[in-house]
Amino acid sequence: MSQKTAFRIFIIGTLASGVLFLALTWDTHRQVETLSHADKLSPQVIAGKRTFEKYNCNDCHTILGFGGYYAPDMTRVVQRVGEEGIRFRVKNPERAFADSWRKMPQQHVSDAEVENLIAFFTWVGNINNGDWPPQDSKKRMTRGEEIAVAAGGLSPGAAVFQNRGCMNCHSLHGKGGTFGPPLDTVGRRLDLERIEHYIRNPKSINPNAKMPPQKDLSEKELEEVTKFLAGLK
Amino acid sequence: MLYQSQKIAHWYFRIALLLFGLQVIMGLWLAFNYTFTVPQSIVDKFPFATARAMHTNLLVLWMLLGFMGGAYYIVPEETGTEIFSPKLAWIQLIVLVVTGVVALIGFIFGWTQGRPLLEIPRPLDIVVVIGALIFLFNVGMTMFKAKRWTAIQGNLLGGLTFLAILYLFGIPFYQNEVIDWYYWWWVIHLWVEGAWELVTASIIAFILLRLTGVERHVLEKWLYVELGLFLFTGITGTGHHYYWIGAPKYWLWFGGVFSALEPLPILLMVIDTLDHVKKRKTKIINPFTWTLLIGGAVFHFIGAGVWGFAHTFPQVNYYTHGSQVTVSHGHLAFFGAYALLNITVFYFAIPKLKGIDRYNPTLGTIGFWTTTSAMFLMGLTFGISGVVQSYIERVVGLGYMTAQDYLRTWMGVTFFLGLIFFAGVLIIIYDLFFIRPAEEEVL
Ligand code: HEC
Ligand code: HEC
Ligand code: HEM
Ligand code: HEM
Ligand SMILES: [Fe+2]
Repeated sequence: MSQKTAFRIFIIGTLASGVLFLALTWDTHRQVETLSHADKLSPQVIAGKRTFEKYNCNDCHTILGFGGYYAPDMTRVVQRVGEEGIRFRVKNPERAFADSWRKMPQQHVSDAEVENLIAFFTWVGNINNGDWPPQDSKKRMTRGEEIAVAAGGLSPGAAVFQNRGCMNCHSLHGKGGTFGPPLDTVGRRLDLERIEHYIRNPKSINPNAKMPPQKDLSEKELEEVTKFLAGLK
Repeated sequence: MLYQSQKIAHWYFRIALLLFGLQVIMGLWLAFNYTFTVPQSIVDKFPFATARAMHTNLLVLWMLLGFMGGAYYIVPEETGTEIFSPKLAWIQLIVLVVTGVVALIGFIFGWTQGRPLLEIPRPLDIVVVIGALIFLFNVGMTMFKAKRWTAIQGNLLGGLTFLAILYLFGIPFYQNEVIDWYYWWWVIHLWVEGAWELVTASIIAFILLRLTGVERHVLEKWLYVELGLFLFTGITGTGHHYYWIGAPKYWLWFGGVFSALEPLPILLMVIDTLDHVKKRKTKIINPFTWTLLIGGAVFHFIGAGVWGFAHTFPQVNYYTHGSQVTVSHGHLAFFGAYALLNITVFYFAIPKLKGIDRYNPTLGTIGFWTTTSAMFLMGLTFGISGVVQSYIERVVGLGYMTAQDYLRTWMGVTFFLGLIFFAGVLIIIYDLFFIRPAEEEVL
């Protein structure tokens, strides 16, 4: 190979990739408008982004998977802990994480700033990003549940019941916790729809409910576990 | 040393070495935070986030000072003239170091841009840009006045200019989080898998030219092939960071395919370095330089090529993205490619700047093997942590903190290895500050 050929490889390689990349960049700008719901970028969402940057949250928490890996990802945090959950944790981290071995700093974030952060996280949570992160995916069941189904011949709903903490409080066939009632015949008492509401928001069915709302369940998991319980008669 | 003005490089190197030491201390503190419970009162005053900003910004600062010092060392020899203005080179050094120190102290008081790796506040960014412009002007004028263009210095200047331009994309405030990350990677990815590779390949070509006596046109030919491959794969390869940010789906294809080819030019660099060393026409004066050069090329390939390839396809990246797997790769790649390159340049240039022909390599050799072994093992412990984390948190679906519980031991081991690494770094820093001529062997 001569030096001229080498130089040509250099020029052609660089230009080809550069032109392709710029063309894709142009198209990405166009498509991100819809993929990210850019029309919903209200002043409050933008103010929330500024707050997020002001307190350098991103060097502990990832968002869309980038940043420090020291604390939970913020992409779907609204779906995971809810607005009230965010308010409490950001305003009172020393109480929220008092029992945890890893702490979050008290940064004296103002009430208005917390609302802006929530608007920002809500907007980010709706970005159409290929269903990442997997742990917050609404479409998938976790592998633990899949394994339980495959190995034990359990129905998917039974697997959710076993794996998602219901057994800490409830029992089936005498096995499980005693904080809540046994659910062996719950299908006789409550219909499918009421069970579904009970799990998401117990107070909506029973104003005195002591059961905490089960917000961690994905839609898919909720649907399966509800079907399973409604069938227990 | 042939030219008086090359002396400036010495100060760039010395300051870079001190900042390197500081960077590693911050790294130790980060690993400590992963292993032990830091009480709320300390977390409130000096949180992990601040330490991380310091760790990564020190990294970038010392490496850029190393590159710039390297350029001030190389360009006089390539052009055959003194630096255009040694005074400007001094001013530039002071400007950059003062900016760096102000930024680091600012972080402690919460003065930050708040974007990972680009935490330097915007007003200081402007000063950084001014420092970079002084540098490019000074180096460019030296070449321009000498009217002697070589591929090595041309690509060195090209790489450094590209580097400076990319920095500009990290400065604006982007309202849309997706677009923000899109351009964030223009800085981070196009630096380490584009501009910095150009600088690295040019510097290595220069050192090989000086040490092997292999003809310039052979070296420059390979240099062009490598650079062509680096840019062809690396530019569109940026797409491997666009899988999950809300960008169009086609990035899964473009990013996956182009980035999967990125290890090729690195492999070529290893082969071509080994080949030139084998075909060298001159006597070996300082064998340790070869250890560094070849060790660096191999580690570059492992950290960037192999470790990068391992998680670059979307099917894997879906589970490992933003986990300790990323940290494992980040450390092995940065250390293997750019820390070792800088150390090689230091060991190549500093003895010459002190007028030492043959130096005593004992401490350097100990330092090299200590740091490389410790860092390799750290890559493994970070990597194990990452795989465990991805599995427990993302595949099994237990919560984030539950997964972190399983990592604690491994992060503890990482902390311990980090102490050994730090000892190696101290040896290297000491050795380079007080390097001695080798005693003449009794024949
Ligand atoms: C020093 C690191 C650090 C910083 C800075 C930080 N956090 Fe946290 N944050 C944590 C840790 C650690 C946890 C998890 C603790 C646990 O669950 O035991 C956490 C948890 C959270 C949670 C709950 C997430 C979940 O899924 O349970 C929210 C919400 C949150 N942080 C928001 C923020 C916001 C908003 C900011 C910026 C104003 C911020 N954090 C800054 C370390 C940090
Ligand atoms: C922290 C303990 C706790 C957990 C965890 C828990 N529950 Fe409950 N659950 C209760 C208690 C206590 C009651 C009794 C009524 C009340 O006080 O809310 C109850 C009642 C119910 C009822 C209504 C029973 C009836 O006969 O009225 C259903 C259905 C139910 N739980 C389903 C679930 C499912 C499904 C899960 C897991 C996703 C779950 N629970 C997790 C404590 C818990
Ligand atoms: C004692 C040695 C070191 C230790 C213990 C250490 C530890 C750490 C830790 C714990 C993090 C934070 C990761 C996170 O956000 O969770 C980090 C980040 C980082 N460190 Fe180090 N580090 C050390 C040395 C180095 C060296 C020598 C380099 C480069 C040559 C380096 C480059 C980086 C980079 C690039 C990041 C950001 C990683 C990312 O975003 O994925 N570190 N380090
Ligand atoms: C010397 C060259 C390289 C360096 C210094 C380097 C460094 C880094 C760093 C620091 C990160 C983490 C950034 C962050 O999120 O904070 C990263 C991410 C990544 N790198 Fe590299 N890299 C190099 C080359 C490569 C190559 C050649 C490949 C592929 C073949 C690659 C593949 C990846 C991938 C896929 C990620 C994303 C990880 C994730 O999804 O979290 N890298 N790199
Ligand atoms: Fe990359």
